[in-house]
Amino acid sequence: MLVKKIGLALTTTTFLVTSAAAATLNVAIDSSPAGLDPHLITAFNSVVIVQGNVYEGLTDIDAGLNVVPDLAASWDISADNLSYTFKLQSGVTFHDGSTMDAEDVAASIRRVQAEKTASPMAASVMPITNIEIIDPLTIKLSLDEPFAPILSSLATIAIVPAELEADIEALQQKPVGTGPFKFVEWLPNNYIALEKFEGYREAGLPMLDGVKFNFVPEASTRQVGLTSGDYGILPGIDPATALQLQAQPGVKLHDTLNVSYTLLGMNVTRGPLGDAKVREAVNMLLNRDEIIAGALFGAGVPGGPLSPALSAWALDTSEFACYTTNVDGAKALLAEAGIETPIKLSILVLPRQDARDISQVIQQQLAAGGIEVDLVNKEIGEFVQDWRNSNFDMFVSANGGNPDPDQYFYRTFRSGGPTNVYKYANAEIDTLLDTGRTETDQAKRKQAYDAAQRTLACQGPIAHLAYGNLFTATNAKVKGFEIYPTGRLTSLVNVSLDE
Amino acid sequence: MRASLGPITNRLLDLAVVLLGVSILVFLMIRLIPGDAIAIMLGANTEITPERIAELEARLGLDKPMYIQYFDWVTGALVGDFGTSIWTGRSVMSEISANIWPTLELTFLSILVGAGLSIPIGCFMASARGKNSEVAVRVVAIAGLTIPSFWLGIVSIFIVSKLLPSVSTLGYVPFSQDPLGNLQRMCLPVLALSLPMLANLSRLVRSAMLDALGQDYIRTAKAKGVPRRSLIYKHALRNALIPFITSVGVATGYLLGGAIVVEQVFAIPGLGRLVLGAIAERNYPLVQAAILVMTTSFVLVNFLVDTLYAYIDPRVAK
Repeated sequence: MLVKKIGLALTTTTFLVTSAAAATLNVAIDSSPAGLDPHLITAFNSVVIVQGNVYEGLTDIDAGLNVVPDLAASWDISADNLSYTFKLQSGVTFHDGSTMDAEDVAASIRRVQAEKTASPMAASVMPITNIEIIDPLTIKLSLDEPFAPILSSLATIAIVPAELEADIEALQQKPVGTGPFKFVEWLPNNYIALEKFEGYREAGLPMLDGVKFNFVPEASTRQVGLTSGDYGILPGIDPATALQLQAQPGVKLHDTLNVSYTLLGMNVTRGPLGDAKVREAVNMLLNRDEIIAGALFGAGVPGGPLSPALSAWALDTSEFACYTTNVDGAKALLAEAGIETPIKLSILVLPRQDARDISQVIQQQLAAGGIEVDLVNKEIGEFVQDWRNSNFDMFVSANGGNPDPDQYFYRTFRSGGPTNVYKYANAEIDTLLDTGRTETDQAKRKQAYDAAQRTLACQGPIAHLAYGNLFTATNAKVKGFEIYPTGRLTSLVNVSLDE
Repeated sequence: MRASLGPITNRLLDLAVVLLGVSILVFLMIRLIPGDAIAIMLGANTEITPERIAELEARLGLDKPMYIQYFDWVTGALVGDFGTSIWTGRSVMSEISANIWPTLELTFLSILVGAGLSIPIGCFMASARGKNSEVAVRVVAIAGLTIPSFWLGIVSIFIVSKLLPSVSTLGYVPFSQDPLGNLQRMCLPVLALSLPMLANLSRLVRSAMLDALGQDYIRTAKAKGVPRRSLIYKHALRNALIPFITSVGVATGYLLGGAIVVEQVFAIPGLGRLVLGAIAERNYPLVQAAILVMTTSFVLVNFLVDTLYAYIDPRVAK
């Protein structure tokens, strides 16, 4: 009798456990995030977990890299382009049960701007000089001068409850947002669990009962786990893994052109690299197709200063003469610049397999033109320090991209820009970038950025190498997943699992 | 003078000296690695002003001179406050205790299997020396020693996922939550860890046994008609155990420090991964406290081994 009861109890528990687990999507990522505060942490592992799932912004970036409404239902832009009035979605609640209104939006923007928060996103909202709450669902943001990328920038600013404005501790551990999934628990080195937010503003969504982000450091383990069904999604995998998974039964591979890119950065204060002709010669010595085939497993396309994914902005590489490999031309340019070859330079290499492979290919290609390169491999902390202090001749790295040209160009190429570690200064480029930032007429902005791309592609401080493909693999049971070029898992809200 | 304090007090004094030394070393070393916590936190290509970086430094307490940082940390640690993890803001001890159970379980089970089986296997190899069956076992033992555990781990995950798709092999669930699921997931990592240990220890038992079996007192015992079984397990084994226990002690000490590679492969949230991650992200307080915990357990295991010596060989106690 007792045995029967226990047996029954066991069966029911097993049943309950399996039915609950069935609608939980298991995601495998390589490591624990460093924190979950959306205004502090910009690393991929944090973004992929919280942005779009736990947090939402006023706007969002869709799969085609267009700005679309999110928590803001609509907006009006004043004729002088100095104020933006947002009408907020009504009936939106935070995961703690409180209602989201204009006060929360204002507090979130102030939180990112505050010196005390030390947010790495601050620059994208610093142009907002005044915030006015018109009514609980209407908010007006004012600027001192026009700032074209503002709508796109706001997509990265998560809206958090107003009472957390001054608190820089709480959200790191326990995020509270308005998104379709609610934070449940975080076991360090093990997993982060999210559950369906019952109060989500769109009825019937999300379809999953929960999402579990498992931290699985070993790539082959993630791979086996996906084919065995332990994991449903492997986001942001490298091309080599993608190639291997492609052939596996029960695996679906999603890919899209990425906004992130690999680059060869050049410090213009270091010897010959200060001469635009030398930088152009470096570009002419590179063979980008060879780099893509040799180091990126063919997964990528050559690109100029802007990703081809930004189809509204990017110029085709056929417009850049230096993108045609020409060793003799390069030698002639070096001679013209009065450089006696061979010259010796070093390349600081980002500690990542693709960057290591790329720099070896580049080493060979530059040698053909008499530029002898030493590769310097450092651990990530040291790499970042050298990068920030401009302590390099050249470096090979990979950067995440942005949906608006200003977000990348202004800080990178403007004289004294915060990430202009190349020490590049060009008055003509400065003017073009100022125009692109303050002009809101699309055609005029395009004109300015076209001119900037033409100069930067061959003579700028960065030789842009390739825009990779972003791969995400899903188990065949996962339905409704859509890949975003930003790498965010925004589409999880529509995902369901087949039995 | 120290002898009068008794063995336990002696050990505690040793432990205190070791911990002080280790704490200074760890504190300095982790800070001497180029690239600080903030560089790691921000990554390359982040747009941030020097003022905000200074703000971050002040918040993390990294703006003070190093000796003051050390003093602050030691005074906190003396009253049991090891600080908070730089990134997550949780107390360091709560992070360590969350990660210590998988390590303890993995250590216990691997030692149980590896050391437990090595005695009968080693004795068998010693008593069947030169026979074909012994050669076969020895070949397997050498294979066990030379196959790297990460490779064994990945291959075993692959094979099990193909043959027994319903068995979960990855990750970790606490025993208290789901005993069956916990043991299922422990099987392969324990196999991967205990096989090399088993190979190593059984070879050690074999040679120690051969040594012991060649001694005069064994010949005497044989002559007075002691049965073979009791000859091996009672007379010879006890004398062969001293080097065995030393090895098991060392292995336990290492395992308690976390089996990094196996934890990585099986996605087990143990101490090894915790420390590896903490070093990579320059999570100073976490690295410091975790290393102290590891040092303490190493010293305690050594103490236990010494006590066992005395129990097995009363001559040691004198």
